[in-house]
Amino acid sequence: MENVIEMKKAHRLLARMDYELGKVDKGYTNRTLYINLSDNTIKSKPVTEQMKEIFIGGRGFGLWYLWNAITEKTKWNDPENEIIISTGPIGGITQYPGAGKSLVVTLSPTTGSVIDSNVGGYFGPLLKFAGWDALEIQGKAEKDVIIYIDGNNGYVTIEEAPLEAVDSHLAAEQFTAMYADSEEDKRNVAVVSAGRGAENTLIGMLNFSFFDVKRGVPRLKQAGRGGVGTVFRDKKIKALVVKYTGVKGDTNGPADKQKIINAALKIHKEIHDLDKVQNRMREVGTAHLTEIMNDYDLLPVMNFQYGSHPDAVKLSSDIFKEKYFTQGLPDGCWYGCSMACAKAVDNFELKTGPYKGQKVCVDAAEYETIAGIGANCGIFDPEYVVEANFYCDTYGLDSISTGTLMAFIMECYERGIINKEITGGLELKFGNKEAALELIHQMGNGYGFGKIAGQGVRRMKKIFVEEYGADPDFINDIGMEVKGLECSQYVSKESLAQQGGYAMANKGPQHDEAWLIFMDMVNKQIPTFEDKAQALFYFPLFRTWFGLNGLCKLPWNDIEPADNGLTDEPAKVPEHVRNYVDIFNGVTGKNITEEELILQSERVYNFQRIFNLRMGYGTRKYDIPPYRFLGPVTKEEYESRMERYDNQLKELGYEIEGKTVEEKIRMLREYREDQYQKLCDAVYKRRGWTQDGVPTLETVKRLGIDFPDVVELISKYQ
Amino acid sequence: MIKVNKEDMEYQEGMTIEDVLRRKKYTFRMITVIVNGKVVPKDQYATYRIKDGDNVDVLHIMSGG
Amino acid sequence: MKIVKTKPELCNGCGACMTACSKTRYKVEDPEKSAIRIIEKAEKPGSFDIFVCNHCGECLPVCNTEALYQAKNGAIRIDDKKCVGCYICVGFCPNNAMYVHPDINEPIKCIACGACTRVCPTGAIYMEEK
Ligand code: SF4
Ligand code: SF4
Ligand code: SF4
Repeated sequence: MENVIEMKKAHRLLARMDYELGKVDKGYTNRTLYINLSDNTIKSKPVTEQMKEIFIGGRGFGLWYLWNAITEKTKWNDPENEIIISTGPIGGITQYPGAGKSLVVTLSPTTGSVIDSNVGGYFGPLLKFAGWDALEIQGKAEKDVIIYIDGNNGYVTIEEAPLEAVDSHLAAEQFTAMYADSEEDKRNVAVVSAGRGAENTLIGMLNFSFFDVKRGVPRLKQAGRGGVGTVFRDKKIKALVVKYTGVKGDTNGPADKQKIINAALKIHKEIHDLDKVQNRMREVGTAHLTEIMNDYDLLPVMNFQYGSHPDAVKLSSDIFKEKYFTQGLPDGCWYGCSMACAKAVDNFELKTGPYKGQKVCVDAAEYETIAGIGANCGIFDPEYVVEANFYCDTYGLDSISTGTLMAFIMECYERGIINKEITGGLELKFGNKEAALELIHQMGNGYGFGKIAGQGVRRMKKIFVEEYGADPDFINDIGMEVKGLECSQYVSKESLAQQGGYAMANKGPQHDEAWLIFMDMVNKQIPTFEDKAQALFYFPLFRTWFGLNGLCKLPWNDIEPADNGLTDEPAKVPEHVRNYVDIFNGVTGKNITEEELILQSERVYNFQRIFNLRMGYGTRKYDIPPYRFLGPVTKEEYESRMERYDNQLKELGYEIEGKTVEEKIRMLREYREDQYQKLCDAVYKRRGWTQDGVPTLETVKRLGIDFPDVVELISKYQ
Repeated sequence: MIKVNKEDMEYQEGMTIEDVLRRKKYTFRMITVIVNGKVVPKDQYATYRIKDGDNVDVLHIMSGG
Repeated sequence: MKIVKTKPELCNGCGACMTACSKTRYKVEDPEKSAIRIIEKAEKPGSFDIFVCNHCGECLPVCNTEALYQAKNGAIRIDDKKCVGCYICVGFCPNNAMYVHPDINEPIKCIACGACTRVCPTGAIYMEEK
């Protein structure tokens, strides 16, 4: 690539630090790379034993560094805000599926508080092998810069980089070619980049690359939630590039490799034998969820009004498999992932936008994207989904937030809250894919109505009320965000536990904390408040643990041992929990138990809750979702599940004979809102929090996170 | 009448587990079926006959996201 | 190409092949580092199963790094320079013919060199066209 040579020549070196190459010892290099882009500082910071003990790594390290870097007044675009990227002690082992995740932590532009995002790609592991447990970036550059880390020659540079593309599909390709010595060497380069949409919206995300040797292209995995890409571009970072050659099975320095091997061989075999009769992750990835969610009335349709649609079959995984996904290629986002869920569409010809006519490889399509920009917007066209997915990715737009906010806009449009004049001529009705694509281009490029849309649901609500006279109560009922984050793509109306799983989640309504719908609504395994509270204690903590260690959640329960159903607690997948304990001990040489695993998470989870408190949130009132999370807001919604709702009211002893739908909606609402409050009571109690949702002094002492500033802060709320 | 995941379902002469799953639209594949407290192996879903009054639990592993 | 073929009914369990293999491949006499494995049948003591790669190639597409390849002589081999030791191929081998040892990064698999067959006293293993 000749132009890459030209691009590199145009770089201007701003700072360089040479460093001793480290060796990973039991999952840690014991150093963090700190960079300040305001004054071009590059330095090495020690990772202390206390950090490892309390925060483990990954998200835990990110929270701790950010906590120390900012004050309660810091805003997302202040220079002191940081972006921290860290995998975790297990991250980088090559034997167990799903062990190469990076965790990104920053102050979010949309929530105003701390956000974390879990992402695949090679960056986190290669960063560690280059000698750094974490990368901590503070300050803001004046002009577009890149940070380059050479993990074989031991140096870090900050360089002005004016010529390379901002859009990720190009940036990843250019930087990979620039820093690889040969075609063979490309797999040793990992790039983090955003896209022009991250500059123009608050929902910008980051793309983490890995080089796919068989396709011969860099692939992109997304750190999607909460605007991390927006912060990245605000700091004028064009890309982060790390290079490390020589990944082997023991580069992560495990204390006892045999423990890892035992678990790994078991699960590879399990996936080989059972995936084809279970979730078919290797064939279709998470796309299989579309038809499942539709069948169980959980697929968000038209801004979460409904849970299924007859046309949803057009978005089913078999269609993607037959017409789009290329099969039998290495679709693991890190070495050793036999789950291989990262599907791709090759040679896709774009029909719109700045890259119209070009043929590209699209990392598509995952369930969240299909459900969000597809079904939730009333669009059931796979061709459109792939196109929209491509542009969300390359522009650096979070496809979950994009889906939810477009769905919100479309409902407002259909209900006359906004109109063509306001949208600049876009007819944003449900199902209008041309308008939806145009809106994505407007968001990406920062013009027209896209400028408003790109601010996210929370800010749009305010604008629609203040400027377009929308009814604030109604707008608040249907705008699917909590804490400022757009909801991910599941309908929680009929599962009280999931309502809590969404709305109490530390970062906002993202299902990675808890997905309890089957347990609660379908299996009816957790009928009482105490049962639900226990589930909302255990599962968010268990799932937090993945983010402390650089792990993916999917190999935990998207595959299960053949006899899992016979165990005491199938929902926990006990054999896999034991695998995780073994791997942790095998890497670190420690000797934790299943209970201690939960305790590790509990420390970080409570710390994050307190972080929210510090930023001015983190109490009960911020855990209350819009009513559409809990039940039907409109007549149409009620009618779509009339039988269910009528029966529920009757069972509860309400007199519904002769009542209008509106009256029944009111009765149901009164009941469900009350239930939700009772759920909060039970969950807070189980978690060791006050009834305002603040961890008690006793809890923080028990967890060993009773740092003076923590104690001072929460004391005001006891 | 039988119970399926704690809800009533009308009993029909000769119904199998597969029929129950179809009626409930339980298409998810990671399930365990328990009839009156006893796990029924997957390969018997098509042949296992439900009796009137049986208590059927279809446990879905949560999966999701 | 010629590959290792087996007649398990002739095997007396002496294990000479395993020693020969580990010696050829890793310069140690350690059955745990052998690409061929002799395992006594639990239900029939005195009888043995022989596990060795039949070079079917099913592992080829499974490898993320293109470390698995078909050599000129037709044998399925691992390029140590490319292999990251993920062991997916081990779990995905339909014949359970790949092995793992904590001291060795790459999976242990047969390269069809024939050393084992030369030491077999009973003719239970021998080289023959695939
Ligand atoms: S299951 Fe998918 S997301 Fe998770 S590590 Fe594997 S390829 Fe990546
Ligand atoms: S262990 Fe080596 S040869 Fe086998 S799949 Fe992994 S990288 Fe490929
Ligand atoms: S043919 Fe060679 S590599 Fe294969 S099992 Fe025999 S000695 Fe080992």
